[in-house]
Parts: sequence; C-alpha cells; structure tokens
Amino acid sequence: MELTISNLSKTYSNGVQALKDVNLTIKQGMFGLLGPNGAGKSSLMRTIATLQEADSGSISLGSLNVLTQKEEVRQILGYLPQEFGVYPKVSAEDLLNHLAVLKGITNRKERQEIVKALLYKTNLYDARKKNLGGYSGGMKQRFGIAQALLASPKLIIVDEPTAGLDPAERNRFLNLLSEIGENTIVILSTHIVEDVKELCSDMAIINKGEVLYKGNPQDAIDEIQGRVWSKRIAKSELETYKKTHVVISDKLVGGTPVIRVLADIAPEGFDAAEGDLEDVYFAKIFGTQVITV
Amino acid sequence: MLAEILRFEFDYRKRRAATYLYFAILFILCFAAVTSQYVTIGGVAGGQIKENSPYNLAFMTIIMTFFMTFIASAIMGVAVLRDFDHKMEALIFSKPLSKFNYLFGRFLGSFVVMVLIYCSIWLAFMLGFGIGKHLPWDPSWKEKTMLPFDAWSFIQPFVLYGITNLFIQGAIFFAAGALSRKSIVLYTQGIILFVLYQVTSQLLSDIENKTLASLIDPFGFRAFIIYTEYWTPAQKNTMLVPMEGMLLWNRLIWCGIAILILVITYYSFSFNVIRTGLRKKKAIKIETSKIRPEQVTIPSVSQYISIGANLQQLWKQTIFYSKMVAKEIPFIAIVLVGLADIIIGSFYFNQMYGTSSYPVTANVLGLLNEFDLFFLIIIVFYSGELIWKERSVNINLIIDAMPVPNWVNLVAKFMGLLIIYLGLLITLILCGILIQLFNGYFVFELSLYIKALFVNTLFFLIAWTLLSFFVQIMANSKFVGYALMFVFFLILFFIDAMGIQHPLFIFNSGSLDRYSDMNKYGHFITSFSWIKLYWLFFIGLLFALSVLFTVRGTDVLFKTRLQLGKLRLTKPLLTFAIATIIGFAATGCFVYYNTNKLNTYLTRDQEEDRQVDYEKTLKKFENIPQPRITDVNLKVEIYPDKRDFVAEGYYWLKNKTGKPIQDIHIQNDVLHNMQLAYLKFDGGAKEKQTWKPLGYTIYTLTHTLNPGDSVKMSFKTSYSSRGFVARGSNTEVVYNGTFFNNSYFPSLGYNDGFEIGNDDNRRKHKLPEKERMMAQNDPVGLGQSLFGDDSDYIRFEIVLGTSKDQTAIAPGYLQKSWEEKDRKYFHYKMDVPMVNFYSIVSARYEVLKDKWHNVNLEIYYNKGHEFNLKRMMESMKASLDYFSKNFSPFQFRQMRIMEFPKYAEFAQSFANTVPFSEGIGYIQRIKDPEEDLDMPYYVTAHEVGHQWWGHQVPEANVKGNAMLSETQAQYSALMVLKQTYSQEQMQKFLKYELNRYLRGRSAERKKEQPLVDVERQGYIHYQKGSLAMFALQDYIGEDKVNLALHNFLNDWQYPGPESKQKRYPTSRDLLGYFTEQTPDSLKYIITDMFETITLFENKAQTVTYQKKADKQYEVTLTVLAEKLRADSTGNEKNIAINDWIDVGVYHKDDQGKDKLIYLKKHKVNKKENTFVITVSEEPSKAGIDPLNKLIDRHAEDNVKSAEEKTVS
Repeated sequence: MELTISNLSKTYSNGVQALKDVNLTIKQGMFGLLGPNGAGKSSLMRTIATLQEADSGSISLGSLNVLTQKEEVRQILGYLPQEFGVYPKVSAEDLLNHLAVLKGITNRKERQEIVKALLYKTNLYDARKKNLGGYSGGMKQRFGIAQALLASPKLIIVDEPTAGLDPAERNRFLNLLSEIGENTIVILSTHIVEDVKELCSDMAIINKGEVLYKGNPQDAIDEIQGRVWSKRIAKSELETYKKTHVVISDKLVGGTPVIRVLADIAPEGFDAAEGDLEDVYFAKIFGTQVITV
Repeated sequence: MLAEILRFEFDYRKRRAATYLYFAILFILCFAAVTSQYVTIGGVAGGQIKENSPYNLAFMTIIMTFFMTFIASAIMGVAVLRDFDHKMEALIFSKPLSKFNYLFGRFLGSFVVMVLIYCSIWLAFMLGFGIGKHLPWDPSWKEKTMLPFDAWSFIQPFVLYGITNLFIQGAIFFAAGALSRKSIVLYTQGIILFVLYQVTSQLLSDIENKTLASLIDPFGFRAFIIYTEYWTPAQKNTMLVPMEGMLLWNRLIWCGIAILILVITYYSFSFNVIRTGLRKKKAIKIETSKIRPEQVTIPSVSQYISIGANLQQLWKQTIFYSKMVAKEIPFIAIVLVGLADIIIGSFYFNQMYGTSSYPVTANVLGLLNEFDLFFLIIIVFYSGELIWKERSVNINLIIDAMPVPNWVNLVAKFMGLLIIYLGLLITLILCGILIQLFNGYFVFELSLYIKALFVNTLFFLIAWTLLSFFVQIMANSKFVGYALMFVFFLILFFIDAMGIQHPLFIFNSGSLDRYSDMNKYGHFITSFSWIKLYWLFFIGLLFALSVLFTVRGTDVLFKTRLQLGKLRLTKPLLTFAIATIIGFAATGCFVYYNTNKLNTYLTRDQEEDRQVDYEKTLKKFENIPQPRITDVNLKVEIYPDKRDFVAEGYYWLKNKTGKPIQDIHIQNDVLHNMQLAYLKFDGGAKEKQTWKPLGYTIYTLTHTLNPGDSVKMSFKTSYSSRGFVARGSNTEVVYNGTFFNNSYFPSLGYNDGFEIGNDDNRRKHKLPEKERMMAQNDPVGLGQSLFGDDSDYIRFEIVLGTSKDQTAIAPGYLQKSWEEKDRKYFHYKMDVPMVNFYSIVSARYEVLKDKWHNVNLEIYYNKGHEFNLKRMMESMKASLDYFSKNFSPFQFRQMRIMEFPKYAEFAQSFANTVPFSEGIGYIQRIKDPEEDLDMPYYVTAHEVGHQWWGHQVPEANVKGNAMLSETQAQYSALMVLKQTYSQEQMQKFLKYELNRYLRGRSAERKKEQPLVDVERQGYIHYQKGSLAMFALQDYIGEDKVNLALHNFLNDWQYPGPESKQKRYPTSRDLLGYFTEQTPDSLKYIITDMFETITLFENKAQTVTYQKKADKQYEVTLTVLAEKLRADSTGNEKNIAINDWIDVGVYHKDDQGKDKLIYLKKHKVNKKENTFVITVSEEPSKAGIDPLNKLIDRHAEDNVKSAEEKTVS
C-alpha cells in the first residue's frame, strides 16, 4: 500500500496558504516530515487523517480516495494530533477502552487485551486507574500514542509525538514506532531532526506549505557532505557573517557562537564540519538558493 | 493601581462587540415595547394606567433587570473567570498587584460597564415616548393620551431598582465566577435567583406570607408588587414608588448580602494559580508492575465495521455522555433547585382563600409541570455542552478520526440526554407520589403520571433538544448557539402578538390541555397526536441536517461544510431526510385540512375584526322592539362520543310591546358554528335580509304580531365537531362532562355582548369608547333582566338524549327517563316560571341524594371525588334553612349540584340546578377545620343564594345590577358560614375579600364604581359586596338586614314588565330597603359603603395598661383614624370623620390564643383619639377596628401589643 499525495493545496480563510501544490509518495515504513513551526506539517497531516478538506489536489491510499472515502480511511488510521486534550474525569483505562470500541474492537475480550497491552507498552499500566486530568504532559502524550495504535492501523499519523517526552520515553517510543513501521505507513512530523535521522527511511522537508526536499535522509546528508564549514566567532561578528556567508545555523557552544556555513570551497578561517541532517534541514530552510547553485 | 485595573476592565469591555450588542438588544426591546403593539413588557399599562406613568416605568424597569441576569453573568461573572479561561492567571497573579486592587478593580470596571449598558433602558423609554407618536408602525399611538414628560420618573426606578439590582446581581455573579472559576456555575447561579423569585409567587398563595415574600425576592420585584398592590390607577399615574417599608428592607437586605458576598469573595479568593481544594483528593495507589514495556507485544484484534458494531458504539457513547452529564455539579444543582421549587410549591398548591386542594394526580401533575422551566435550562445548556464536549476538552481530532459514522455520535449525545431525561422523569414521578403520600393521599394513578410525563413532557424534551442540537451545530459557537436559542424563545414569545397563532408555526405546539378526572385528556388527544407527529417529522429533518453539517475535523467554514454535507448524504440518510420531509408535509397538510378546511381558523385579530364588523353592521338594530320568549320546548340529542348535539323544538314569542311587530331578528350562534337546519314561524315568514357570516337574519312575518299576541317559532340546530381546531377547542361539549347553556340556541335581536368591550382595543379599531352598562334610569335597561332582553320568564320543557352510560340534566323536574335504541332519554319540565337561562349537562355520574323537608337534594359527581360531598350537602341544607326562614320560601322542590370538567373553574346557578366545576370545591381539602376556610361549603351556599338573588329576583340590566344578585348571594353565603364557623374564620375570609377588593381596584381599567353603580366589576360586587354587607349587618344587625331583604323580596319577587312595578329592580331600590332599616345615626354608612368609595386609615398608635386592682385593668389606647373618599380613578381626599368604629381589647388565654374580651363601637370624630377602657383580664393587645370591618389598606396596623405601665 502506498500513500500518494498529488498537487495538494490549501489556503485558509485568513489568506495563509498552508499547502502549496504538495506532491509526495509515501511507502510503507517510517516517513519523516520535517519543518519548522507553522510550515504546514499539521495541515498536511490533518488532511491525510480525513479531518481537513483540501482546496485542490488528491490523496490516495492504495485504492482509497482519502478525500472522499473518509470512513474507509478512518478504519485503518491511527492518528495522534499535535495538541489534544482528554476528558479530565475519566481514567486512562476507561477512555482507552472507550476509544477501542469506537475503533470497532467490539469483542470485549480482545479489547481488554489490547488495552492492557497498549497500557503496558506506553508504560501507563500502573497509572491506568488515575483520572486523565491528573496526568503529566508526558503521560498524556503516551496516552495519545496508545490510542493511535489501537486496532493495528495500516496508516499511522503522529504529529510531533515526541514533544514533552523525556529522553528515555522518547527512545522507547521511537523504538515502538520503528517496530510497527515495518509493515505500516507511519508518518511522523517533527521539528526535531534527530527523530528523523534515527528512524526514517524516507523524509520530506516542508516549509511555508512547500515541499523543499523529499528523499532518503542519508542521501540528503550525502548531498551536503563536504560543504559544511564551522567557525567559532565573537557575538558581535555574527551579523557580518550572516551578510557575507550562507549561515545555516548558529549556536552557542560554551557561551560563544559557533556558526556553520554552506559553501563548496572552505571559506577562510572555517574548519570542515561533518554534515548531518540538521544541516540539511537548515540548509533547506535558510539556504535554498545556495543549494540550487 | 485600582483605577488602572478599573480602566483596563473598562477598556476591555469598550472594545468588545458584545457590549454594544447587549446595549442594542436592550435598547431595541425597550424601544419596541413603548412604540409598538407587538412587544409588551409587564403589560400593566392600559385602561386608566398610562403607558408613561411612573408606576409602569418602574414596573418595566424592574422587569428588564431579569434580562440583566443574562448579561450580568456574561459581564460580571467572567471578569475574573476570563483570566482562568484564557490561562492568563499565572501571568496576572505574578504581577505586583494587590488582591484588593485586582478584585475590586475588575468588579468596579465591570459594574460601571453594566450600569452604562443598563442606561439603554431609560434612554429607550425616553426616546420611545418622545417620538412614538411620529412613528409609522402603530397608528393607534396617536389616540393614546400620555402624561407630561417627567425625566425623574424614568431615572428614579433606574437608580432605586436598576442600579441596586445590578449591584446585587453583579456581586453574586462576580463572586461565583471568581470563586468557582467555572462558567457553568454562573448559569446555575442565575437560575437560583429566579427560583427565589418563583418561590415568592408560591408563598403568596397564602396572604399571610406577604412580608416574607417581599424580602426573599432578590430582584425586589415582589416587594415592589406587594408595596403597590393597593395603589389606585390615579396613584400609579401620579406617584413615584418611594423607597420605604418592605421595599426599603428588601433593598437593604439584598444590598447587604451583596456586600457580604464581596467581602467573602475578597477573603476566600486565592491569589494563587493552584488552589488547595477543600477536600483532600483521594490518593490513588500506584501499583508498580514488573512487566517491561519492551516485552509486551500488541495483540492483533479483529475490527468490526458493521451496523451491529455501530449500535454497540452508540450504546457505549450514550452511557458515556449520560454519565458525564449526571456527574456535573451544576446539573445536580439545577435538578435539586428544581425539586426544591416543587416541594415548596406542594405546601401551597391550588390554594383558594388559603385552602388547598387534595393532591389528586391531576393537581400534582400541574405542580410537576413547573419543572419544565428547569428542563428547558438543562436542555439548552447541556445540549450545548455535549455538542461542544470534544472540542472544549480538545479531544475532538482524536474522536473525529475514529471510524464511526456521524450519526452515531449525534444520536449518542441525544440518547445520553434522553437517559438523563428519563431518570429525571422517574424522579419527578417519585416526587409526585411522595408528595401525595405525605399529604395522606393514597390513590396513585401511575398510568396517568406516565401518560403525562412520558408522552407530553418527553416530547417537549426531545423536540427542544434536537432543535438545540441543530442550532448549536449550525451556529458553530457554543455561545452564539445559546444566544440563538434565547432569541428563539423571545421570538416564540412575541410571535403571538404579531398574529401568528397557528399551531403549524409555533414550535412544538400541540397541547393536551389540563387533565380532568372527568374527561381525562378527552378530545385533545387527537389534535395533540397529529400536531406532535408533524413536529416529530420536523425535528427528524433537523436531525438529518445536523448529521449532514456537523463539524468533524477542523473545517468550520460553512462553504466547506456544505461540500462535506454533500459527501455525507448517503443513501440511508437521504431516504431518512426525504421521508421526514414527506411526513412533515403530509402531516402538515392534514393538520391544515383539519384546522382550516374542516374548521374555520381565525386569528385573534380576525376575531376582533369580526366583532367590529358585527358592531358596525348591526348596531343599528340594537333597540328594535322584539317579542319575548315565553315558552321553550326542546329535544336535544347529545352524542358525547362524537361531541355533537342536535336540538329541535320551538319557542313561543309574545309581543309585549304596545306596537305590532312585523320583523323578527334572529341571531344564530356563530361563535360555536351552530348550523341551523331550519327556522320557521307558524303562519309563515320570509327572510328579509341575512348576514350570513354574522349569523343574523331578519324575518318578516306573514301575519303581523299584534300587541299581546304570540307566535310559535320552530327550529332545528346542530353542533358538530369536525376534525380538530387550531386553537380554542370547545371544552363544553366533550366526551364526559358536557355542560353548555342556551347561548348555543337562536336568540332574538342584536347582542351587544359580541362587541369589543376593552376601550384600548376599541380605540385600535377606531370605535368610540363604550359604557359597560346602561344607566340606572335607562328604560331599556329597566325593561330587561340581567339575562337579557330575549325573555322575562319562560315555561320550560326539555327532552335530553345522551349515550347509555351518561346522565343528562337540565333545569326542571324529571318526568320520565327511558332507554331507546341504545340511548338514554330524560324528560324534564319546570312547573313554575323561570328565567331564560338553562344549562344542559351530560356525564357519567355517581349521585348522592338527600332531602331537606320536601326538597330533593342531589349531588352528581365523578367517581373518586367524594371528598366534600357531605359538606356541600350540609351547606345546601343550612342555606335552604336560613334563606327560606329569613328571606322567602324556596320556589322549587329540588336542588341539584352537578360536577363538570375543570376546563373552567366556577359554579353557576340555574333554576334548581347548579353546575359546579371539578376544579373547585370537589377536590378542595379542609385539612384543619379550625384554620382552613370551608370553600365547598361557602361556594355551595353562594350558589343556593342565587336561587333567591337572580332567580326569584332577576335585576334590571343596568349599572349596579350585580349588587342585587352577586352581592346578596355573597351576603347569604356569609350568614350561613357565620352560623357554622368561628369568628376567626369569618375574619380570615373577609381578609381575603379585602385583599382582593383592594387589588382589584388597583387594576381597574376604566373607572371604579361605588357598589350601587357596579358595572360587572367582580372585585366590587363580590369582594367589596361581602365587606359592605358584613359591616352593614354588624352595624344595624343581621335581623334588620334580613328584614330589609325579606321586604324587598316581598315587593319585588318575579319582577318585570308584567309585574306590578312594570320593570326590574335596581340596586337603589334595594338600598331603599336597607335605609329603611337603618337608624338615622348610622345612615352615613349606607353612603360610605354603597354610594361612595370610602376608605379608612385606622391605626393603633400606643397601647398601654395598668393593673388597677385584682381583675381590673385599665387600658389606654391612642389610635389614629382617617377617612378618605376616592373618585373613580382613585384620587383620594380626606373627609371629616364622625363614625362609630370598633375598639377592641384582646387577652391571651391559656392556650396562648388571643381572644377578644372587649369589642364595642366608639364614636370617633377626629384623627387622634384616646380611649381608656377597663377590662377584667390582662390585656395582650388592643386597637381600632380589630376585626377589619372597614376598608383599610393597612389592616394589620389596627392592633398593637399592649405594654404594661408600672404605677408610679
């Protein structure tokens, strides 16, 4: 099964164009959707998740037309929205059970089993009787993951799933996803480059509604390899460098900025740096013109 | 800092569109109320009370504060709540800001905004009254007379009630919002305020509770009403309602409560983001399991996508939602408050003169219906809550992505509420049964409960819930949804005034009317079922649309939703929608066919137009000389199960005028749509002219009817019920309990009773103002009795046929009764002349028989209504005893009382026959014979009294007439009551009469008349009549009054053109007989009580006593006495006093009861008087006119506790 997005566009009533002629083909396995806040990731994911209409374009999932055959898509969909709430006065177990029914797991025994398994899986079993209102952000997020995995979905869409998780939880979750991702389409949106690097066989970078890059993460890194240079500079020099070089990132290391620039030949005073996915990401977003040179 | 917060709040509101919207809504509403006829606030103006009178302005201003409750909750409630809702509290509380400044800045800021919004009210009133005359939409405005503009009368109520109410409501809502931090608590709060108001209305069915009721109403409305209840129209037009007495106390108490609430708010408001709850949360034990997540494999499960699975999902969701609602604290609060309201009501229900009724199920149902208001609140709030539930907790995207059809979710929400409703209905039934149980009433009609609540109420719940769902879904904002629902209510409220009264246009119309134990729900079931079916299809359609357009996902634009809707229009849904449309149209047509084709549908305005048409066309015939009916002989076949009857027979008409009569004017009864099969005269006649829609025909007799000659007029007329009607369904001809009178049969000449009586309405139709009755010296009036000009006395004979299981009764003596063709027949004949006013009654009756001398006494009643038969029987006997001994012999050998269904609540006296409503008397309950007034006894005595007053002496049809019939029937009943019941009970009765008289005169629309000129004013001929006659017999003696009445009867029995006086008597004739028996020293009371409107202001100022010796106490009283004379609008002036007034002293007996030990009339001839009285027992209290025999607006201050003065 394959998810094909063709020429998808969407403009909100306030004039913001959330999606601009998006074309993507997503195969089974983990697919990373990388982009800054407000890039249109969530819009794209909601549209795939049957919760938002597109102005034009089409999405197909295998033989299904996602935009019209919503019911059918929902049957095989697991969706974790970026931001969600819960009924505060209901326990995790009850709500998960309730959602399982809505998923169509109407066999009581099966339902109990999968609910139990998912609670274990997301490490919520011990707190299953607790009202969701009393959950911490991380616990709530894990609950969200648990519900997205109900009924072995064929298409899993997780929007910023690792936000709010501590490193251990994050690891566990990513492992879980990759485990499932072997025979499922998993679309993972994130602005954390590491997530994609570690997990995804395929990815797309999107900004301002446009797909800037699509392909294998390693290919992207290969492409940029040998063109990234770094230098430790004084704070006051930053603006000057930004004018004269293609600065793709600047971060503080031990209190002073280290900038990374993109160039085919080493600029003066710069050291060669190991290019990684983050550089690709920043390069795609901030340095488009250079890449195309 | 405070000022800054205040300004911040103010600026915030200034920028909000809602602020202007509130202002605009109030402004438009008030402006419309004063300038158009479609919107009315309060409705107390009209008649003599001018629209811009200070009283009406104050009244409208206070009513508008009810509206303020909604706005106050929105503005004051969220002043602090807003910060929590927007999660701003952490930011704000971390600022260097004192709690005082924060809280009171917010409070004052919002309060100022509220006051400014509220100014719209008086501004709109001022503008409306200023330019109303020039506006095009209400032409009758020009005819209205207005008082000169007085700005203060607009502003004063705004300050005294408006601002105080804003402060009170503001404080309460502010506190609720700040302390609960939950918006729904605010709504609940508002409801509680209304319930307090509601409770006061129940308390007031006992007039002893006036003070309490005045104080506990947070709006001050009740206090205002009670304070001004005796104000005459003149006072209402001229006086500002001052802030004093109970009004002042009410305001002080509630403003005090408001301040207290603010203080409490200040101290309990926690300036922290996290609050420590009052209760410690139960700690949930966290077990620690050993299983490592990595080891767990997720089992594969089977996923069912089928209708069966959908149903299971539906059920799960349903339970989920109903649990959610049931756990809501505000929901529980609303329910508890509603139940409390019912329980409080159960102490007072159906009271009449402080005497309550048996809690028969029909009565209890009436009480339970009060919960409808709470149901409505629950519907509106919780349908909104549920529709928005997912979105408000932000789980909507997860739920929306579940593979569940749209209808499942909506149906689940609906059914979730349905389960709540069912639970509440069962609770209500239990509540009803408990009320019956505690009242010692053990006939539980469970099936009736179920019919009423699970049919009528449940349908109401379903209809409004689905409407609310639809509105919420389409509005796509919870608050807009609420607002739209509110607007919808307002529209329903005003739509009626705009002439839209057809049930097809009134949402959820269709009524079962009240339940009668006799007639059950009767014929109302048919129209109810069809109209409800019609609405069922309608709400089905709304539901289909709701499913189509419900928001799923993030698209809220209506355009997108339309596209989505197209996508969702699956075959089953389409079929469902089409089926509802077809069903809706088909039932609509059927209803229309019934209401407008089988029957004639007239709106109220059209009915008025018909009245106008009648008057304009036919008034010219009003006093054309006509013969009079002297003989009635009819056969009436009643078909109760078809609600039809056919009457055939003849009248004899006699020319009693001095001139020959050629033309006979016949009025057929068009109001009841009577169909005349034929109408003919012996000797022949031809139709000269006919006005079909008006039912008026002039026949020209072939042979002139010479003076003294008679002609026989035969006719056949029928009443038939066809299908059902839109409104005003006939409740006189019914399945069980038919009761109608001869007004259905052809009558003679123009009937001025069809004219519009209300002067305001007449003005609207450009008709001249109308006198309510003819002048006392009008020969036309003197020549006809109160029963009209058709007849003086008739010979009467009638055969009634009815279904086999019913008994049919008419005046007269039963000659014969037989069965024929499965029907039952009764032949009645009267052997003495009687007035042309007869009832025809048919029902399934039980009968209780007894005898008084040679008079057969019978009470016909519905099985189960045995409660008061004995009292009524005793009353008949005592009445016949007293009246025949003191007035004149009883003219009949039979007296019967027959129960009729409670669609109307009265008893009416026909010749030897009294139909008596099941709603009064039959089910009244005298719980404590010492305390409760025996109303069945009294009403029976009154009606028996009419056998003399009305039947032995019909009075002339002129002003003052009812003083002869109604007032004397009241007197007669009082004298019978006095023989049997204690002085305290008589006093209690008269207290109610006084209250009703004073209230009646305050609402007089045209002019208050003295008793002797009363013109169909119930509060005068009944209530003032009771008071005057009771006082008269107290002053001149019962025997003297009776002697006067005896003499009067002697001279005036069976009056009329053929009697020795050649006319009917007037009130002044009777007054002559009273004067004759009154000593000169007391003649002034005749003037005071009968000929003028005289009031007293008596008051005990100081009461002290000294013990002089053993068993000798000297009481010194200082009393104030003032005498006032009022004109017809209620302008009063003091007049000199020179009256004999009771002075009384009480002693507390061993049981702690106050007993009169001294009561004597003293001459009072100045305002301040001192009396020194020696009594033999220790006085407890004393005063002037302690038994309230005189008309006094402050009856309670006549007596004062006595204080002992130590001998110095």
